Amino acid sequence: MIGIVVVSHSPALAQAAVDLALQMVQGVRPPIAIAAGAGDGVIGTDAAKVAAAIEEVASADGVLVFMDLGSALMSTELALEFVADPDLRVRLTSAPFVEGLLAGIVRASGGASLDEVEREARGALAAKSAQLGDGADEPPAAEAGHPSTDDGLSVDLELTNPSGLHARPASLIAAAAMAADATTSVANLRTGSAPVRADSSIALMTLGARTGDSIRVSSTGPGAPGVIAKITALVADRFGED
Amino acid sequence: MTASVSLADLTAWLGAFRDLVTENRDYLTELDSAIGDADHGANMARGMGAVLDKLGAGEPASAVDELFKGVGMTLVSSVGGASGPLYGTFFLRFGATAGAVTELDGAALSAALDAGLGGVIARGKAEPGDKTMLDALGPALEAFDAALAEDGDVSAAAAAAATAAAAGRDATLDLVARKGRASYLGDRSAGHLDPGATSTAYLFEALAGVLG
Repeated sequence: MIGIVVVSHSPALAQAAVDLALQMVQGVRPPIAIAAGAGDGVIGTDAAKVAAAIEEVASADGVLVFMDLGSALMSTELALEFVADPDLRVRLTSAPFVEGLLAGIVRASGGASLDEVEREARGALAAKSAQLGDGADEPPAAEAGHPSTDDGLSVDLELTNPSGLHARPASLIAAAAMAADATTSVANLRTGSAPVRADSSIALMTLGARTGDSIRVSSTGPGAPGVIAKITALVADRFGED
Repeated sequence: MTASVSLADLTAWLGAFRDLVTENRDYLTELDSAIGDADHGANMARGMGAVLDKLGAGEPASAVDELFKGVGMTLVSSVGGASGPLYGTFFLRFGATAGAVTELDGAALSAALDAGLGGVIARGKAEPGDKTMLDALGPALEAFDAALAEDGDVSAAAAAAATAAAAGRDATLDLVARKGRASYLGDRSAGHLDPGATSTAYLFEALAGVLG
């Protein structure tokens, strides 16, 4: 499992962001170390502290470092010069601090690789951007109250796999949605939630869909039949879970 | 005519720099409150204070690299803001390039300062004209090398560097910040001196004072 390092100007900010993320993690959590504040209670960052945090959670799987802003970046880059093991894989991510940390910790707890965790963390702003409708460079989002079934396809599916739409199942659906030439959304019929984009595993996880819940998959575009069939098959196969 | 600087000169330089940032603590913070987060004076005074406390507490360093490694590590852990990794990297590279010696001639001092400059550029990724400490540091080292080439007088080179650093600092007045928190202000950052360039000017004022 990869290690996670959280670099912040403020110990309170770092701890709160980690606590928020850990609410999403049941079971094994990745090793997490916080390097926040400088000196005695000074708001700031300390490269020596960052280096110690990296070494604390280091393993052959690598370390992903989240930073809040400004000097946190420079302190972390300097810290890399202090880390004793030159072969240690340490990645600094530009992921958003709160959303990225949540997405990254969830993904890391599932045993994902450094590359996978970082990709997920960096994409973590997409769900927020889509919900607020400001993603000009994003594919059009399925918006609340917009019945995307009017000119497309829709299917209701009951989740029978043990973990519901947790990280791995969500990422399988997201992969299918991304691969298709279609705009696809998923809603949780139990909670009556607004549909979310199917191509974002973070957005899918926000549905809170559990075993026994029914989800509605809606899709428009040339690839709609294919993606509906693919997601139907994934659900029927219980996402490969026992 | 000064041909070289000793470990004692370099230690005195650090003390003089501490004195200048401490005396001008409120002024640096005032500059930083105009275009930053109003902590540069406090950060530099605390950082250099910690450096001098540490120098006074332990055994004196026996070589230049050891002295500046301690200085750099103390700064990165006590400053807090971006000046911590920036000045920290400057002194760490300065010491590593100077090596395990007790005296630096003009060429060795120039090489150490240049390595420090390289560290600041690598760390901050700023360019000349971005309204940062680089706008004082770059001209200072150019002037140092030019003066040194004339007659090898380190003291005169330090004086030239101090003059150039002050001019570089003054030239940041009209610049629009493109790095650091001041860059969030855009055009509103013009009309203020850059706090980092101002403390860098003190660094060379301190060197010139000690060697003068």
